[in-house]
Amino acid sequence: MKRRYPDKRNILLVNITRLGDMLQATPTIAGMKMENPDAKVTVLVEKQFEDVCFSIPTVDEVVSLDLGMTVRSIAREGEGLIDAYQYVDEVVSDLRGRSFDYCLNMSSSAYTALLLKLIGIGRNGGWTADEEGYRVIESEWARLFASSVFHQNRQYNSLNLVDVFRCSADVEQHPHALQLKVTEEARRYAQELLAEARWTNNGPLIAVQAGASQGKRQWSPALFARMVRTLVQKHNARVVMVGTQKERAIIDPIVSEVASPNVLSVAGRTTIAQLSAVVEASKVLITGDTGTMHISVAVGVPVVAMFLASAYGFETGPYSAGNLVLQPIIACGPCNPNKPCARPDCHDTLDPEVLGELAMMRAQGDVVQIPPGLVDPRRAVLYRTDFDEFGFYTMRALNSDAGDGLRRYRDAYRKMWLEDLGGYQMASVQPNATTRSLALLNEGISGLEESVRLAQQGRLLIGELIKLIKDITAPGSALGAVNQQLGEIDRKIEQVGFHYPVLGPVTRMFCFSKENIQGSEALALASQMGAIYDDLQRRCLKLGAHYAAIA
Amino acid sequence: MAVCEKWRRKSHEAHPNLHVSVCLPSAMTDLNRLASLMRNDWNRRISHDARFWMSDGYVSEDAMWSTGARDLALLLDGISLPSSSACLLEVGCGIGRLLRAALGRFDRVIGIDVSDRAIEEARALYAQIPESQGHLEFKVGNGIDLREIESGSVDVVVSFAALTSMPADVVANYLREFHRVTRAGGRVRLQMYLGREHRVCEDDTLHIRCYAEDRFVEAARLAGFDLDWIRPLTLPLQVSIEEQGVRAVIVSLHRTERQPLSQGEVSRALLPTGEMRPTEISETEGFYEPGLEHWVSLNYAKELAERGDTTRARETLAYAAQCARTAAIDVSDILQSIQSLIERKEKGSNREVVTSLAPAVGSWREANQRALAVRSERTQLFLTPGSGSAEVRMTGDGPVVWLQGQCLDHAEKPVAAARSWAQRILSEGRIKECRHIVVYGFGAGYHVEALLSMSDKRISVIEPSPAVFDAAIAGRDLTRTFQKLYGLSVGFPEGDPRFDFLDQESELVIRPQSQTVSGDFCTRVKALSFGARGLTALHPSIAVLGPFMGGTLPIAGYCARALFGLDQRLRSWDVSGFASSLGQFEKFVFEPMRRDTLRGAYIEMVSQVLLEAATEKPVDILICMAQAPVSGRVLTELRKRGVVTVLWFMEDYLRFTYWREMAQYYDFVFTIQRGECVDRIRAAGAGAVHYLPMACDPGIHRPVTMSEEERRRWGSPVSFVGAGYHNRQQTFAGLADLPFKIWGTEWPTCRPFDRLVQEEGRRLTPEEYIKIFNATEVNLNLHSSSERDGVDPSGDFVNPRTFELAACGAFQLCDHRSHLSELFEAGSEIVTFASPREMKDQIAYYLAHPEERARITQRGRERALREHTYQHRIAEMLRIIYSVKFDHLKRRAESSPWKRMIDRAKPHPELHQRCLTAFRRGEEPNLDGLVSDIVTGKGKLSETEQKLLFLHHIRSQMVRMRSEELGMKK
Repeated sequence: MKRRYPDKRNILLVNITRLGDMLQATPTIAGMKMENPDAKVTVLVEKQFEDVCFSIPTVDEVVSLDLGMTVRSIAREGEGLIDAYQYVDEVVSDLRGRSFDYCLNMSSSAYTALLLKLIGIGRNGGWTADEEGYRVIESEWARLFASSVFHQNRQYNSLNLVDVFRCSADVEQHPHALQLKVTEEARRYAQELLAEARWTNNGPLIAVQAGASQGKRQWSPALFARMVRTLVQKHNARVVMVGTQKERAIIDPIVSEVASPNVLSVAGRTTIAQLSAVVEASKVLITGDTGTMHISVAVGVPVVAMFLASAYGFETGPYSAGNLVLQPIIACGPCNPNKPCARPDCHDTLDPEVLGELAMMRAQGDVVQIPPGLVDPRRAVLYRTDFDEFGFYTMRALNSDAGDGLRRYRDAYRKMWLEDLGGYQMASVQPNATTRSLALLNEGISGLEESVRLAQQGRLLIGELIKLIKDITAPGSALGAVNQQLGEIDRKIEQVGFHYPVLGPVTRMFCFSKENIQGSEALALASQMGAIYDDLQRRCLKLGAHYAAIA
Repeated sequence: MAVCEKWRRKSHEAHPNLHVSVCLPSAMTDLNRLASLMRNDWNRRISHDARFWMSDGYVSEDAMWSTGARDLALLLDGISLPSSSACLLEVGCGIGRLLRAALGRFDRVIGIDVSDRAIEEARALYAQIPESQGHLEFKVGNGIDLREIESGSVDVVVSFAALTSMPADVVANYLREFHRVTRAGGRVRLQMYLGREHRVCEDDTLHIRCYAEDRFVEAARLAGFDLDWIRPLTLPLQVSIEEQGVRAVIVSLHRTERQPLSQGEVSRALLPTGEMRPTEISETEGFYEPGLEHWVSLNYAKELAERGDTTRARETLAYAAQCARTAAIDVSDILQSIQSLIERKEKGSNREVVTSLAPAVGSWREANQRALAVRSERTQLFLTPGSGSAEVRMTGDGPVVWLQGQCLDHAEKPVAAARSWAQRILSEGRIKECRHIVVYGFGAGYHVEALLSMSDKRISVIEPSPAVFDAAIAGRDLTRTFQKLYGLSVGFPEGDPRFDFLDQESELVIRPQSQTVSGDFCTRVKALSFGARGLTALHPSIAVLGPFMGGTLPIAGYCARALFGLDQRLRSWDVSGFASSLGQFEKFVFEPMRRDTLRGAYIEMVSQVLLEAATEKPVDILICMAQAPVSGRVLTELRKRGVVTVLWFMEDYLRFTYWREMAQYYDFVFTIQRGECVDRIRAAGAGAVHYLPMACDPGIHRPVTMSEEERRRWGSPVSFVGAGYHNRQQTFAGLADLPFKIWGTEWPTCRPFDRLVQEEGRRLTPEEYIKIFNATEVNLNLHSSSERDGVDPSGDFVNPRTFELAACGAFQLCDHRSHLSELFEAGSEIVTFASPREMKDQIAYYLAHPEERARITQRGRERALREHTYQHRIAEMLRIIYSVKFDHLKRRAESSPWKRMIDRAKPHPELHQRCLTAFRRGEEPNLDGLVSDIVTGKGKLSETEQKLLFLHHIRSQMVRMRSEELGMKK
């Protein structure tokens, strides 16, 4: 694997705002420690997730940022703003004093980028900001992350964000699962909670996380109730409903509806550590794409997960082998996470009874095949999570993914990125014969030829530009004219990405690379730009070749 | 001896600092001294108005008896008398308000009071009440104990609103005495204030004392009593001040056989730290001398004036001035309103204020004049003859000066009062910090002498009345005083007062007595002192509200530009966008009254919009232009919030009379007319009314260069710009034979106007009429009149066009106006005419003499730019506002969260500077504003900018996450 900063001593990992994100960083943290056993890892995290970090085995130190208090202070206005400012001042000063030599910012937010600019760490694996406040993404893997999460491009990505984070940090060795310690105290508490139940069934204990992080990802309580009823009535299972106090608005109606002694709700009665222990005591967790799903994976309990609405299993699926993921087949999915949905039809593609059935199957052992017809491939694809030969997370369909029209593009992109960014050898790639490749492209991905042609034009113009820069007698107007032509080419490249959505990821990568050109010396800038055109051309050709090979 | 509860409560409401009271430990108190103080103070009050200073039933004798019976019933509630020969004692009985109701119930009734004046009046009062004979006795007490009352002779002791104002040491001693004078099983019923300990200076015989309940009960126990109960006192007026923890109660005690402990022990139990002694008053400790009696008297004077009892009002005003101790409370507003009330009430009766003034003759005049002659620097004497006369009266300390029935020194003990006053003044925080004290009011000079002897600071004096000064130098040796004084100004200088010794290091101290007799001049002096400082030291947020439309609309913009130019914090409230809706009414409703109703409702709605705007972003001063659409309700609400409301009434008050209803809602009204206009608007209830003529904006009104085509379009040998009022139509019809263009609205379409009026009589923009001014050889400026032909012979105010033409460097012929001569010099800076005939002659003359026109316009423009810009006017307006509201606005600024924020930002210099910059341009320096400054900037981000952006993005992220949780992402 290609690596920029393999050696690290004093690492800051910024992962501030979400529990799931924090857990998804654990393979990277563990990997960094595996590759740099003497390194110290400090995690900067929002205060409410501080406790979780203490349960991550390889974290040496935790620095918490009280965002809630900061925002409340800002809202007070007047002196509140000064309080917030002073707090930032103190945080920055504290972090500067720790002399980190490497930082992986796993958040794409503007404020973490600014914070890292303020701290001034020399080597970065993720987002930071330049002196004028514009974002800087040094690592190409991090740029891939930014390109992939760009909504239009999401469906062409099959690399789990855990792996993209990991590669941003140049980490190759890593555990194939998320990491979380469960304390004995939490286990005892969980046992006490579970002992409250008056089970009449004696089947497996199935945990159900009914709450979701977004309204449109929230499967309805009625469907959950049907599923739970199936579990307790048909499968002799015992069900523990987990969740937060806020989620009781969802969970309590389910419990009332089923009205069975074999359903116990512990919602609102657990800390994250105690929740981990409850999940650990279960055989399987049934969930959406939630923080609890990541906890379950981290404590070694398989999940049956439904990825509704904007949730996308390839991107944020349960990071361990042997989980079952249901991804609806629907034209609008995965949808834009930033848009509300008044009619989430994807919810109806999943059958509650089938979900119960799958959970029972998984409770009995790894599921590598399912009875024909159990999951209708026209409505949803059932995947089993796994890892490929390079240690990257993947999902393999257990029914048929024939209804998934984007699979071939996704696979082609996967191979291209692993080869281009990771340096992994892909057997199927044809020799780099431009003429032949282009011929193939014409049969395959629309717009590729145009992209390649534009990249080549750009490269030629850069050659001219370099000549003009070196020629001290060249008139300024000539330089301006070439610059103008380059601007036009870049605009067209970006347009191609919009016109042919499948090319979105490569053109977006092109744009991010352009944004991150460093320095102010003309020749250096031209040279970097030339390399970016080369990258675009090479990636387009590789993409086309892989696409053709898959066919 | 009782204190009127009503006023106590009122004073707390009206005066925000009255409740402040922090005490230092008191040393052993001299009870004799306190008793003497009580006697003097209460004798004075009783002499002024016995009923007023005692109770809420002061409006008539009947009311007094009625409230007395009510209060006695509350005190005696549930008491069963031991025998038919029971004896009641009231301590602090005043003139016996409560005791009449006790006559039928007790065989023997005794009233005792430290005030011999009160007892004298009580005896006279009850001499006419037969049933009191043989049953009622009044005794003058010594103010320390009850030695006049036999031991064990009383069944019930009562006291209502009397112990509450007595020094704590006296109260402690009285408690012991109650034990002595009562029989076994005797009862004591007292009206007290219990709750949060509330102590004042021991010398204060008026302000209430509030004791901690447990301490009072313990003190009573040590005095030999046990508590029966404590009940809240409820009267038709509010007597408790809950927000300050002060509860008015009735306390019932019964006598035990325990012997009282010493006065010191009881006193310590009651108030362990003791009351404050006058010498221990410290401004830095937060003590504030309230001047309660002065304040209460002023309010009473106002009430009397409102009732039409102007004689009593004047007496009470004089009384108020007599007990004024300090000018720390700004009483100018109330003084002005009382005086104007009195004048209004007296107007019908043509009452002359007669003062008995004797010429002051003395042997010190020559010596004092010699001492004055030696002074040359910082001395200005404007000894105008005929400026009135003052009277000198003798006291034990020496002569004192009286003017207009007002003693300018203490009427009896000027030396002691002056020392006490000086001590108080010097303890004020602002005075401690300053280097130079300027005293307004000299009187006979006692207080100035006291200040000079007690302070090393520079002391200057401004005495407005030459007569007072003359009386003083005649009656007293002031030679040393004159030697020591830093600056001295006597009399009214011509025009605007100027004092070369009044500088940025000066603090003005106003003697209320002098303020009372020379209010206007005092206002001008304050304007000079506080106004100039206010322009640089205060940064209130000032909103300018223009009308929906019309000629005044651009003036609102000029005022806003002027405020900006003066570095003031500006918030422009442009409501012109609401005008189009107003026009829609006419399409639907045709009946004028209905339209008016609708218009009122619409203005109310717009006013509410403004109120919401002020709620979102508070303003400190609201300057309304004439016709500004804001309702009385909203102005009242803004004033309640402490906003200073100002109206610049730039209209003819006789033609536009809405000031009658609206004046009352404004703290300041500025008019373009003098004389009766000012008086009438003041009488209509405006807080203060001042003359402020119109002006020009040199940024807009200026010479412009034009192309030939433009000159053809806009130019003419003779032009007029303005609406077609009656007198203009009548006058300009006679100019049809001239090359004459008329621009503006409301002109007839008949001959000759069909030819004269340009571009169909449309409304012009300022940019357009400035071109006309510039392109015209002779601009006519005839002030409008709807009633008269030609030139209005009684026209007074000067229209904006006069200043605008002058500033444009355009030649104008202006009709004669009485206020014009003080603004422009006729013949030199402007040319005026008194009749249409004269106007026509002048047109002919000046068309033929372009060089003369050029000379006059040049001088007119210079004068306009030098004295008549909106910046000059707004500066003057603010000086006047700041002179009265300096402390108010300063307090407001200091308590503003933004001020505290800016102060707290000081450790971060760039942040501090950014906050300050935002604040000074009229914004509250919140995160959005600060970030907006950053994102509109260029180049590298400073660390401060990065941190602010960081905060901005944190907030955005948190908001986004919250939205995502709800599935409601925008």
